Amino acid sequence: MARALAEFARSLVRASTWRLALRGLGRQPRRSAIVLVAVAIGLGSLLVAMALQYGLVAQMAETAIRTEIGDLQAHAAGWKDTAPLEARLLEAESLAALSRARELAGFAPRLRGEALAQSPLASVGVRVLGVDPEREGSVSTLSSFLHEGAWLDAPRRLAIGAGLARRLRVAVGDKVVLAVQDVRGDLTGEAFRVAGIYRAPSRELDEAVAILRLDDAQRLFAVAGEISELAFAARERGALEAPRAEVARALGPGVRVETWRELEPMLDTMIALFDQIGWVMYAAIFVAMAFGIANVLLMSVLERAREIGVLLAIGMPPARMVAIVVTESVVLVALGVAAGFAFGFAVIFALRDGIDLSAFGDGLRAFGVPTRLTPVARSGDVWAPLAVAVVTALLASLWPALRAVRTRPAEALRKA
Amino acid sequence: MRRLAALGLATAFAAAAAAQDARLEPPPAQPSARALAEQVEATFRGEASFLDATMSVTSPRLPAPRRVRFQSWDDRGGKRSFIRILEPAKDRGTAFLKLHPNLWSWVPRVERTIRVPPSMMLQSWMGSDFTNDDLVRESSVLDDYDHRWLGVEPSHQGARAFVIEYRPREGAPVVWGRIVAWIDPVKLAPLRQEYYDEAGVKLRVMTLGGFRAVGDRQYPHHWSMLPLDKPGHETSIEVNAIRFDEKFDAEIFTHRNLTRRE
Amino acid sequence: MILRLAWRNIGRNKRRTALTLAAVVFAVVLVVHMIALTTGVHERMIEDNVRMHAGHLQLTGAGYLEDRTLERFVRWTPELAAAVDATPGVAAAAPRVNGFALLSNGSASQGVALLGVDPVREGGVSTWPERVVRGAFLGTGEREILLGERLAEALRVDLGDQVLAYTVAYTLENAYELFTVRGLIHAPEPRLERSLALITLRDAQALFAYEGRVSEVALLARDSSRLDETSRSLAAAVSAQSREPLDVNPWPVVMPELAQLLVIDNAQNYSMLGILVVVVAFGILNTILMSVLERQRELGVMLALGLAPREIFRLVYAESLLLCGLGLALGLGLALALPAAVFMEGHPIPIRGDVREMSEMFGFTPVISWQLTAWNPALATLLMTAIALLAALYPAAKAASARPVDALRSL
Repeated sequence: MARALAEFARSLVRASTWRLALRGLGRQPRRSAIVLVAVAIGLGSLLVAMALQYGLVAQMAETAIRTEIGDLQAHAAGWKDTAPLEARLLEAESLAALSRARELAGFAPRLRGEALAQSPLASVGVRVLGVDPEREGSVSTLSSFLHEGAWLDAPRRLAIGAGLARRLRVAVGDKVVLAVQDVRGDLTGEAFRVAGIYRAPSRELDEAVAILRLDDAQRLFAVAGEISELAFAARERGALEAPRAEVARALGPGVRVETWRELEPMLDTMIALFDQIGWVMYAAIFVAMAFGIANVLLMSVLERAREIGVLLAIGMPPARMVAIVVTESVVLVALGVAAGFAFGFAVIFALRDGIDLSAFGDGLRAFGVPTRLTPVARSGDVWAPLAVAVVTALLASLWPALRAVRTRPAEALRKA
Repeated sequence: MRRLAALGLATAFAAAAAAQDARLEPPPAQPSARALAEQVEATFRGEASFLDATMSVTSPRLPAPRRVRFQSWDDRGGKRSFIRILEPAKDRGTAFLKLHPNLWSWVPRVERTIRVPPSMMLQSWMGSDFTNDDLVRESSVLDDYDHRWLGVEPSHQGARAFVIEYRPREGAPVVWGRIVAWIDPVKLAPLRQEYYDEAGVKLRVMTLGGFRAVGDRQYPHHWSMLPLDKPGHETSIEVNAIRFDEKFDAEIFTHRNLTRRE
Repeated sequence: MILRLAWRNIGRNKRRTALTLAAVVFAVVLVVHMIALTTGVHERMIEDNVRMHAGHLQLTGAGYLEDRTLERFVRWTPELAAAVDATPGVAAAAPRVNGFALLSNGSASQGVALLGVDPVREGGVSTWPERVVRGAFLGTGEREILLGERLAEALRVDLGDQVLAYTVAYTLENAYELFTVRGLIHAPEPRLERSLALITLRDAQALFAYEGRVSEVALLARDSSRLDETSRSLAAAVSAQSREPLDVNPWPVVMPELAQLLVIDNAQNYSMLGILVVVVAFGILNTILMSVLERQRELGVMLALGLAPREIFRLVYAESLLLCGLGLALGLGLALALPAAVFMEGHPIPIRGDVREMSEMFGFTPVISWQLTAWNPALATLLMTAIALLAALYPAAKAASARPVDALRSL
């Protein structure tokens, strides 16, 4: 046994083994082509499946992050236990401190408060979000949800969701009064014109938020030069620790910096859940791929029992024979893997603009839900299918090869 | 009470002008529309006022109008006010104390004090068409509007009436498009206010009547607010007593007074 | 004749047959289970949400979804209750009053959604009774309240303490009531837990001066796949009992966000299924093709013996279809009878680690569950038949195009 193994190992590294294996493959071009196609289609499809699954998960996070949250947010410490207006940061000072930040793709100051939005016909409690129209776009896509009108194009304008517009019974150009208790405790208010009506992906944003220009919000709540939140876009979604540390350092103590995962634990959970379910799903495709590869390899090796018998009969050492068969398979599968990667990434590239999902659900767009599913390839995703393909190839050729050489040559010849 | 009236002004008024203008006579050179508005404001203004009034709320939800009698002490200069409910019996003793910027409410039935949060201060007060905010708003409403003469109506409920228009300034916290006010040319007191949205639809009508002399001013003792967009709703107020420029005991605006049993 | 020949061929080379058969059986089992998984996960999500919110069907006053105020109500009379309970397809019904109130204790106060529930009926529809972490669920006691754990913390109260509820009643009066904290609940979302309190339906009707009225009746359906039918019978049954116009809305209308999420996930799952089908189809195609290639000599002999290429095509096609049919039957049998299928349905895969804790916190049952429906094997059959018809085409054509001499020489 040990000798056979040593012979097998020696054979694997001998040039003649490879030469014989390659010649074997060349002699049966059609059979080789079938195995190659099986591997390529299986592996390529698996890559596409994984990219689609991750695309969905990434898009869920992306939608939430880019809608409003941002990758990171900074607030005055203790902000979670107080009313939004209680915990504030100094605007100019914070922005100056961040001006040299290198880990950030963008940041936007915001002011949050509560108000009663009033029209002649209705009044609705709302969350006020004051934004800097220039900077906000570097973090969120709020303005892209605009459905009607313009986006905070002038002072004393506001943008509201279609749901809030319906509840207040107002349209673009109409007046909405925001009655608030300002930071001094005074009940006060101001009238704003509806500049734009947006359709947002979340019900809360759609029905209970009024977006103002930051300076208008600061005047309304009597907190000139102060903000309640800084939202950040990181350069890379996956790497938030470096920008978090940088922001924390720049803003100094007394400021709490949190990632979107900490700010939206529910979303984080949903994504993790979808990810786990995704793995179960493509485990099925993994198995199907492995089975497809194993099946053609098994068949091709088993059908060659006669040929193997002839070679053994003329004095080929069995271990060497096994090495040749295994080498053939591995070479074939390696070629298939290469073709599979090419095929998979070609499909992913072809789908880079996303698959239109609107056919699956009427009116998804009306709710502001992204209706395109875009595959996203992760570098980490290539290893698992690669390993499955190679291991399957080894096992699916080793076993029938061993079986073939154990059969005595005469029997093999007779059988064929 | 001044606040309630002011609120009426503050949050709203206006006239189907074009149609009405035809029936109106040209305005006199004096006083100016602004001066008239100041007069109206002055009717209600007082540094320290005491009010005893009964409010009736009519609503399709109620089998019969609900009546609430209350007394209020309003110390404008001190930014504080106090209201106590006398009727109905079930709410008797319920009291509100406003000490800027907070509002507390005492509920005798359960013997508890509640600090009313801002969100609730902006809600309807005691189910009326007025809000808590109307009770506690401090600022003058005069500067929220531009004022303009529409003319003189020769026979408004049988008497001459000045008709002026209030147009909210851009940004002023007023939901209305405009308010049209009828003013008694002699008493210089408001008779009627109509509230329009920006599209020109009339949404509310407030009428004031029952004028009686209080000190040197004519004060309306009957008010009614009719929201036209809510059929079957009406809020009216009967003033039982009103006194201006009172000298208030500081004891009134205390938590002890809030929880006092009569 | 062809069929008999095909059958004999299948029987003759057992190893080849076994491999092809295995590929098909395997594919069927995979497809069936993948669909079962999708269905199972979705049903579980719907079930969790439905039990946390408005039920499979929500009966409300007309226009309640657009204007969730006390203005829109259902008169919950014994006659209406009887009509609802007697509607075929309705498994359970729970009337609720949905109001807002300010809860306060000393200087601490918090605006909350105050939910009035029928202590007996509620458990039939929702999981609120099971969400009590300390104390007990509402019972026959008067003026008792359940608070979210975080809400109790914010109000600085514990079991047995009193909180004051302050609200505006339906009659537009200011309404106040003192409640004793009977239990603390663990709500699925942190936000919900900070802003939710439960009292009995009777107390809620007293507080909101809402005599005999409720905001909604949450209904659990016997068969969640027949909501439209149940919804129609319910609408018919209640319209006779109510003076006011009522709405009956199925959960996708009440919770459009969940419905959208499922639509997107379905699109995703069908893409996955499509990919699986492609992989499986190629597996089968390759297997059949391989077996045809390995039989070049045999086929060449048959051609040399005078069999027409068309007949060879038919023979190979018939063989493939027979194999696929056999595989489909075996596969379905295996997939359905497989203890795994039954086992999975009864014993879903638990989710582990952090995700488990978080899922529980947010009210998802932390399992990945399987569910088989009649539609599932039907779809698998359809897919496999299509795959077999297509996959056998090329190898059969290939076999028919072989020339006898080449075939013989190629050995």
